[in-house]
Amino acid sequence: MAFLEIRNLDAFYGRARSLHGVTLDVEAGRIAAIIGPNGAGKSTLLDSILGLVRTTGEIRLDGVSLTGRSATEIVRLGVGYAPERGHLFPFMGVRDNLLVGAHTAPRDAERNLRRVFDLFPVLEERQNQETGTQSGGERQMVSLGRALMSSPRLLVVDEPTIGLAPRVCHDIAAALRRMNEELGITILITEQNVNFATHLARDVLVLETGEIRLRGTADELMNNPHVREAYFGH
Amino acid sequence: MTNILIQGLALSGLYALVAVGFTMIFSVGRVLNLAHGVFLMLGGYAYYTAVQVFGISKGAGIAIAVLAGAAFGILTYTVLVRRLEHNPIAVEISTLILAVVMQALIVVVYTSAPKSMWPIVPGVFRHEGVFVSHNILAAMVLSWIVLGGLVVFVRRTRLGRALRAVSMDRKGAVISGIDPHRMSLATWAISGGLAALAGVFFATYTQLTPGMWVAPLIIAVAVVVVGGIGSIVGSLVVAHLIGFMETVTTTLVAAELRGVFTMVLVIVVLVIVPKGLFGREEL
Ligand SMILES: Nc1ncnc2c1ncn2[C@@H]1O[C@H](COP(=O)(O)OP(=O)(O)OP(=O)(O)O)[C@@H](O)[C@H]1O
Ligand SMILES: [Mg+2]
Repeated sequence: MAFLEIRNLDAFYGRARSLHGVTLDVEAGRIAAIIGPNGAGKSTLLDSILGLVRTTGEIRLDGVSLTGRSATEIVRLGVGYAPERGHLFPFMGVRDNLLVGAHTAPRDAERNLRRVFDLFPVLEERQNQETGTQSGGERQMVSLGRALMSSPRLLVVDEPTIGLAPRVCHDIAAALRRMNEELGITILITEQNVNFATHLARDVLVLETGEIRLRGTADELMNNPHVREAYFGH
Repeated sequence: MTNILIQGLALSGLYALVAVGFTMIFSVGRVLNLAHGVFLMLGGYAYYTAVQVFGISKGAGIAIAVLAGAAFGILTYTVLVRRLEHNPIAVEISTLILAVVMQALIVVVYTSAPKSMWPIVPGVFRHEGVFVSHNILAAMVLSWIVLGGLVVFVRRTRLGRALRAVSMDRKGAVISGIDPHRMSLATWAISGGLAALAGVFFATYTQLTPGMWVAPLIIAVAVVVVGGIGSIVGSLVVAHLIGFMETVTTTLVAAELRGVFTMVLVIVVLVIVPKGLFGREEL
């Protein structure tokens, strides 16, 4: 039994269906990546895991069904989410943003705060800066940090490198790797940056127009003609 | 001059208390509670019934009024607002209807005759031509204490932070494990309690009548429009702007015109700075 199991998932916005029979597994302790072009349904898939989209099919975390549960319950069951565009609280300082993330785990707040500052020392220096005034890179760090504050077992991250300079991407990758190795958190990311995804993740899935087109290890996909054609243009 | 200053300060404190719950509901749920004035009125009538009909002590009377306001807030949210939340216009229309219905119910129970309320703190402060009732001074001090407490609550506690989070980014709050409906419920309870407290003092400042919900509603709307805010400190500032303007109008121009000037201010701000002086809706 995989840690995260998704079976035959369809997702709907009103009548429109954005995911078609998505089935995937993420093994405990791994980093997995979903790559796919704009509009493929990456964000929809991650929102579905948090119960934010109307879906049919099954999603299970460590054997426990997430279907029909509220986001609050899903967070309590151990899912942390860093969504597209961050959804930070712009008029709150960094520290308060992080403390909101501790809403479901107030007892771990001090420990988790130390972990976040250890991963992202810049944030400790800027604890009181309002996130509305921060750079994109800093905001991405706050977003990941906030997700960590709920003591998650599964961390779900939507396009962590979008709009970031290579140097910052490198730092983010290093931080994600540390969360995985030192804290034992299973990680699922989406990416359009295939290089980033294949370097970070061991298992990679290709999502196109709401369906899983391909799946395999990072090495397998890097050598796949379709992936080379669609994502590298050669 | 000193008289205007002190009267203005005292009235402004009361106005801040009148408006703050209204602004909180607006910033957390992005809906206007047009029954806000009714919450004040209920607070007034609850206090009147407890203290002047049943002879309960004033302190207990205030507590009863606050609890009644909070309960009515919870009831209004669960029965009405929760179902219409996705449509702010529907919330506004239905809370206005609620206000009219409550006015009718109050007439049935208490008749439409005004009830005069005894001052909660009797006596008048007199000093070199300055005179202010102890009652309104008490209202001012109480508002400052309550508003100060509210600022600390919103900034320093887990629940307060969660309320601010919902007001700034609902999805961000939801994925942090916050249930926005519970936060709205909490806001309606707090707002109802604060409004009822304000109502007790407002009723002693004016009169207890079934139509008394209109004036505080206008003040609350004015504070939101002029301030453009969920900031509690911001509503305090704007309440002072309006409170002083009304005191000056009452003293130097004509008492009948004071509400008119407030409405003119509202329209001027809408035209010149549509987002309000503070340009922000988040708590
Ligand atoms: N709130 C919504 N209402 C209606 N349709 C939506 C909504 N959100 C997404 N969609 C549609 O669902 C499909 C998948 O969108 P989604 O945002 O999941 O793609 P994505 O892979 O995350 O794209 P991107 O890389 O641009 O972020 C798109 O066709 C999009 O138009
Ligand atoms: Mg997306």
